[in-house]
Amino acid sequence: MWRQFEGTTLNFISENTAPTVAIAANLDKFMELTGIQVNILQLELGALVQKAALDIGSGEGSYQVLYADPYQILAPYHEAMADLNAFDGDENLPSIDRGIGDFIPTQLAAAGRFENEERLIGLPYDCPTMIWMYRKDLFEKYGDRMSQDLGFDPTPTDNSTWEQYYRIADWFNENVDEIPYGTGHQARQYDSLMCDFSNILWSYGGDYFDNETVGTLGTVDPGPCVLDSPEALEAAAFYKKLLGIAHPGSTAWDWNALDEAFRAEQVAMAPNWHEFAAGDEAPESAIRGKVGYARLPRGPVKSTSMWGGTGLSINGESPIREQKAAWLFLVWATSPETMLMGLKSEVGGGTPTRGSLYELPEVKKAMEPPSDLPNMLTYDAVSKAWDPENIGLRPKIPSWNECDTAIYTEVSRMLVGDKSPEQAMQTAKRYFDEAQSRVKTLASGPATSGRA
Amino acid sequence: MAATPAAENQSRRQPKNGGPRISLEMKMLLPVLFLLALLSLFPFLYIIFMSFNTVSMIGGISFDFAGLDNWTRMFTDEVVGAAWLRGILYFLATVGLELVLGIGMALLVHELVWGKNLALSLLLLPMFMAPVIVGLLGRFLTDGTYGLYAWFLNTTGVFQQDILGTPSSALLAVILMDVWEWTPLIMLIVLAGLSSVDQATLEAAKVDGAGYWQRLRHVVVPAVSGIVVVALLIRSMDAIRYFDVIFITTNGGPGNATKIIPIRLYETAFRFFDLGYAAAIGLGMLAFSILVANAFVAILKRRGLAR
Repeated sequence: MWRQFEGTTLNFISENTAPTVAIAANLDKFMELTGIQVNILQLELGALVQKAALDIGSGEGSYQVLYADPYQILAPYHEAMADLNAFDGDENLPSIDRGIGDFIPTQLAAAGRFENEERLIGLPYDCPTMIWMYRKDLFEKYGDRMSQDLGFDPTPTDNSTWEQYYRIADWFNENVDEIPYGTGHQARQYDSLMCDFSNILWSYGGDYFDNETVGTLGTVDPGPCVLDSPEALEAAAFYKKLLGIAHPGSTAWDWNALDEAFRAEQVAMAPNWHEFAAGDEAPESAIRGKVGYARLPRGPVKSTSMWGGTGLSINGESPIREQKAAWLFLVWATSPETMLMGLKSEVGGGTPTRGSLYELPEVKKAMEPPSDLPNMLTYDAVSKAWDPENIGLRPKIPSWNECDTAIYTEVSRMLVGDKSPEQAMQTAKRYFDEAQSRVKTLASGPATSGRA
Repeated sequence: MAATPAAENQSRRQPKNGGPRISLEMKMLLPVLFLLALLSLFPFLYIIFMSFNTVSMIGGISFDFAGLDNWTRMFTDEVVGAAWLRGILYFLATVGLELVLGIGMALLVHELVWGKNLALSLLLLPMFMAPVIVGLLGRFLTDGTYGLYAWFLNTTGVFQQDILGTPSSALLAVILMDVWEWTPLIMLIVLAGLSSVDQATLEAAKVDGAGYWQRLRHVVVPAVSGIVVVALLIRSMDAIRYFDVIFITTNGGPGNATKIIPIRLYETAFRFFDLGYAAAIGLGMLAFSILVANAFVAILKRRGLAR
């Protein structure tokens, strides 16, 4: 069954993330199993989206396996993705090991479908999630003084609030010389800024659209944008206040630069992607063993953590034989064994999207320090963050690329003082609605000519 | 009676059948010209066509006739308008600084008696770098965590903020990165002009008692002004489509401070895949480039340096 496509060559286009680095390092195992050659092209996310879009648009289907970011690839090009149910149900092809139910439900919803609950178009592949990373050593060293000065225990818990986070950061700024700033953020005018801001937006009760399924199932028509709601304005005002005391480099940092700054001991804490734990706990890291991991603070309404996961999809434009060969790769790459291999990989590796893996004794053991699998040190924080009521899912809409640019541009303008929170949110809302209107026209309007 | 040269030329231009005669040289050039036309004209016409359509990539490329929608949108789009204004500011700053510094460096290098080749080689190094490398280098040097420039400015108290995280310093930084890379080109072109200045005239001016600045103003500058305009023309064409360094360092931020028109064009085309609108913006850039080029050519014509 596994060798029926021997001699086929597949092209897998992926973002240059840890799971793909681990897959690339273990690719010979797939080759041995199937006789299928896989070429992996790893790119920065923006370049990946362009290449995937152009390949789909051309109808060539030369990349059979796509790292399908749910927002930038899956939502706009969902029609071009193959329905995986057909392969999973084909008795001549291997089916998903332990079944589709083994994937973490919220991740399957976000990475696997668009609008149609029956149509499976992606299998959850990675799951970076934003959590509160803090310098445990500094919190222990200054905890008593902070408690006295601030009037509350600063140790991060599920009940810590963003307002407390602000006060802790400010306290570090004022009282501690061994680290320059209390907090740092990934607030570069880029996707990272949208991620950072969204955590606070949601925790204050704000949102991008008043639509319950826009984050999970996704939709072409989410309705009008609600970024001008009082909750969103309050969140924006708080974010501006928080960034006002953050490391000044924050407005130039994307996610990588923020983690580099955290590792370089520039900031005492940060809302950070949990998969950076692997680098932060690496033997050569200056902060190894000094980092604590907690859920992001609560706002007035809830605590929400941005999920940045992705699925693997099959390009429906590719020839059917290649699609079937690609299915073998998907089954292998998202299997529990391969994910465990990735988790243990010395060259990186992500965090499993399979629930069953977290029950393994060796994985459970790694959740406590000292750990051979440092990403697992974050498990308590991320597992709660993946619950349906806590997971932060940005809108899965075809116009997301334009909306994303609008929100991070307007928030950036707010941060540098160009606009007030009200002006920034109102302008972003206008751009969201305009982008939605254009994409709806595209989706419904008849094309006057056929495919070029 | 022998034919006059004019009559001979006339008879050469007149084919026997009375139609236009194609010379042998032209016949030899035709295949290449045809290929060139195919490579440049077809995409150009295609872009014009796209600018009058809404282009969708959802489910394969399709066109929906939009009339003048993309064009009217371009003239009323405040983001594009602001990007144009920023772009013009950036254009004037980079080309202006490169001109002043390039001429200054050329004059200095021209005066060198020894080590001229070594100095020239070192000064020319930046322009041999790919712009994307210049961007990466600039990003590392100005990074608040480990950047040398950031550290220096911070410890000396000259600038305490983050260089690329503050609007004014970010714009200045990307301007200076471009100036660093391309000033040597202006220097090189001006240096070539300086070597062609008539030495006899310079000597005569010297004998007549003209000082350095007088010789510079009345002999050197008039002699190299034509070539300076050519250098400016080359740099201007490049500066209009400046992209790499900004894309790598600031992505147009913070607060849109460095979002010039090529960055907005990139976003529209390759992030939003709004290809019809992107085509209109691109054609707007082309029109601006033609206007700038024509302005420089007009200056050259006035000086009798171009036909």
